[in-house]
Parts: sequence; C-alpha cells; structure tokens
Amino acid sequence: MKFDPSIVFANWDILAYGLLVTLKYTIYTCAIGLAIGLFVALLQLTPWPLVRWTGRIWVEFFRNIPLLVLLMWTYYALPIFLQIQIGKETAGILGLGFYASGFYAEILRAGVQSIDRGQTDAAVALGMGYFQRMKRIILPQALRRMVPPLMGQTIMQLKNTTLLSVLTIPDLLYQAGYIASFTYRPMEVYTAIGAVFIIMLFPLSALSRRFERKEAA
Amino acid sequence: MTATSTDVVLSVRGIEKSYGKNHVLRGVDLEVHRGEVVCLIGASGSGKTSLLRCMNLLMEPDQGEIVIEGAPLFRSARGERLKLSGRQVSAVRIKTGMVFQSFNLFPHRTALENIIEAPLVVKKVPRAEAETRARELLTRMGLPDAGHKYPSQLSGGQQQRIAIARALAMQPTIMLFDEPTSALDPELVGEVLAAIRQLAAEGMTMVIVTHEIGFAYELADRVVFMDQGVVAASGPPRELLLSNANPRLAAFVGRFTEQARLLGPLAAPAAAPSLTYLPTKDNGSCPI
Repeated sequence: MKFDPSIVFANWDILAYGLLVTLKYTIYTCAIGLAIGLFVALLQLTPWPLVRWTGRIWVEFFRNIPLLVLLMWTYYALPIFLQIQIGKETAGILGLGFYASGFYAEILRAGVQSIDRGQTDAAVALGMGYFQRMKRIILPQALRRMVPPLMGQTIMQLKNTTLLSVLTIPDLLYQAGYIASFTYRPMEVYTAIGAVFIIMLFPLSALSRRFERKEAA
Repeated sequence: MTATSTDVVLSVRGIEKSYGKNHVLRGVDLEVHRGEVVCLIGASGSGKTSLLRCMNLLMEPDQGEIVIEGAPLFRSARGERLKLSGRQVSAVRIKTGMVFQSFNLFPHRTALENIIEAPLVVKKVPRAEAETRARELLTRMGLPDAGHKYPSQLSGGQQQRIAIARALAMQPTIMLFDEPTSALDPELVGEVLAAIRQLAAEGMTMVIVTHEIGFAYELADRVVFMDQGVVAASGPPRELLLSNANPRLAAFVGRFTEQARLLGPLAAPAAAPSLTYLPTKDNGSCPI
C-alpha cells in the first residue's frame, strides 16, 4: 500500500479540532494539577505530622495508581459511589488534574527541600518569619531548580491526554481513530498525529534541557 | 582587652539538649557582659556549636533559660514553659547577629542586597537609608566595591566578611560567630580574623566558637572550654590556656602548642641561612 498523505490533508479540520481538545485538556489539567500540587506540597512542608501525612497520602495515591485505571474509575465508578452524574469532560479533567497534582506536588516539595538548611538558618537568625523566608529566600532559589522537572512533567501531561480517548473525548488520538475508521488508512493518520506530537514537544524538551544546563552551570 | 562593664547582655542558665540518646548539652550556665569577647573552645562534639545555636534559639533547648538584655527568649523548667509568639521571639532574636561557618549568604542576591534584606523586610528601614548603611558596612569590612557582586563571584574570605556586614546591618547588641574561619582556605583566614579583631576593638560584645586557639588567646576576654556538654573550664585566656589544672583542657591545648612547636623553625627565618643572600663570587678580576 502506498503512503498517501492527502488522506491527512483532506481531513485536516477533524485533526485540528482534536489538537485543540488536546491542548485545552493539557492547559486545564496542568493548571488544576499545579494549584492542587502547590497546596499539597505546602501541606508536606508544615511542621505538623498529621497535615504532612495527609499530603503524603495524596501524593502516594496518585503516583501509584495507573492513569488509565484512575480515568476509568473516575468516569465509571466515582458517580456510583457518590450517587452523582459526571460527564466525561469533568471526569477527564478531574482524573488527569488530580494525577498531575501528585507529581507536581513532589517536584515542588523536593525543590524547596533541596535548598541548603543554612539558608533557613541565616534567614531565621536575621529575624525573618516563615512567609518572609519562603517568599524572599527559599522559593526564589527553589523555583530555578524546579523549572526543568516542571517542564518535563508538563510534557508528560500533554502526552497523557491521549488516554482521554478511552472516555471518547475527541482528542487528537480519538480523532485519528475516527478518520481511520472511515478512510481505512490508519498508516497515514497515526503517522501524522505521531509527527504532530513530536513537533509540538521537541522544542519544549530542548528548552527544558537548556534550563537544566543553565542550572548546572 | 576592652573595658568590660558589669551589665549582662546575654545569660543562659541550665541549658540541656538531647538528640535521642545523645545528650549534647548537660546544664550549661554562661553570662556574657557588655563589651566582652568570649571564645568557646573544645573538641568536636563537645557542644560548643549547639550552645551557640541555642543562644539565638536557632536550636531549641529541652530545658533552661535564655535571656538577652533582660528580655526572656526561652524558659522551660519541669514542664513549665514560657510561651512566646513568633513575633516576640524574633524581636529578641534580632538583638543577636550570627555568622556561620559556611557563610550562608543568599546566592540569588548581590552582596549589597544580602546586607539590606533584613533591615528592609524585618525592620522596615527605608531602602535609601538601608543602602547607605550597607555601603558603610562594606567599607568597614574592606570591600567597598563588592556591593554589586554575587556571592559566587567572591572568595570565601570576602563572603564571610559580607556575612559579618549582613549581621551587623541589624545593629545587634551581641554577635555570635560559629567557627567563622573553619571553612576557609588557610590564606583567607587572616582577613576574617582581622575583621573580627576590628569589631572587638570597637567594643562589640561577641561569642566566638573557634578552633583558632592563638586567636582566642590574643582576643578573648574570657575563654570557655566545653567538654562533653558542660563548661569544663572558664577564665581569662592567659591563665586558662597556660594552666594545667584541667587535664582534658591541657591535652586539648597541647595539640595546638605541639603544632606551633613544629612550625617554630618556619617562624624564625632570620636564624636560618638565607638562600637569596649568598655572597656573590669575589674573584678579584673586576676590570677597572
């Protein structure tokens, strides 16, 4: 069978819609993941054991459940447990967002804890309170270290949105399957979306590597 | 060396601290008077750094009392404990300035920004005023041109002098030094000691944890020898360091005097024949 790229161009609007959906879910779930992740990281950085453990459990739960299982569970099982109606969009955003929060929380916590203890000592000795230390001394240094892993996680997050196709959310992968189903040309379509992902993510990865080098220098 | 008045700037009483089974401080009493320079000496693990870190409550003792200029910073005895808010603790704590072994400058801030940070955010001093004072301090520390540099662009000795300036910027009544020269290359120790010496000459009250016995001997009004979590001996440096009353102290000091003895020949070059001063060959064949 000859490789015929015109199949892809003829259906470009279907793929473009899929791309928009993929980007939309990436942005939503990264935002939710970062917000919850920051909160959970802060929980883990408090001096109170019970609060720390709550944060820890959250992280371990979402880091150890396979994403596909989590998505299925959120869509099919959660509504029955809670006796509520959840649409596939909500289920997808919650599942992916919570999943991301576990990883983001871990990156943020590790970044803060990687700062030398002497920095806190110096700030405390100078009379700075907890929030002053965090805002002016610890976080500015930690954020620089966090940038490369945060970018890496965001790249993972974009790739993970393809799992939303199992909930029949029309992301790039789902749209590709749809085109393949009526053109009978999976070769061209799946090759095309593979290329789209690589073209989107390669610059991000390169940027992330540059940050890493800068941090190491 | 300076006139020591009788009023007590810092007093710690009955300080106890354990880490698990490790009893690092076993009831330490110490009073530091205005203008006094106290050097804490002792072997590693004797509790001298722990004691210093208790003085500004960087480390919280299990038991005991800490008072700075009449204001209580910590008090705990038989389950009864003085409760102070973070703000109250901070207000007492900033009467002390601390200098660390590894400098602990803020690496994302320039030297000048390091110095003005605490005056700006803790004392709410206007920026212009804080900067003027910081420049004075930089000049006092012999680094008038280092203000715009980042810590990574400065040598260890320069960083430590910036760290001293940063502590002084809060106008503390007592300075606490935690082995200020231990992390420095040998050739950089002198400049930091000179800065501390200058502070002593200006009458600053200081507690210095140090391994520089010679420095303690020269500068201290009082040397405190810590051993196994207690003050084992204390007194004027001349009497204390030269007496043999405490065998552990004598052994501790002995290691340093032994080292000094070994270095002795290097310190007296006049006695050795100089290689650069060999007489030039006098062959008497100088053409006239």
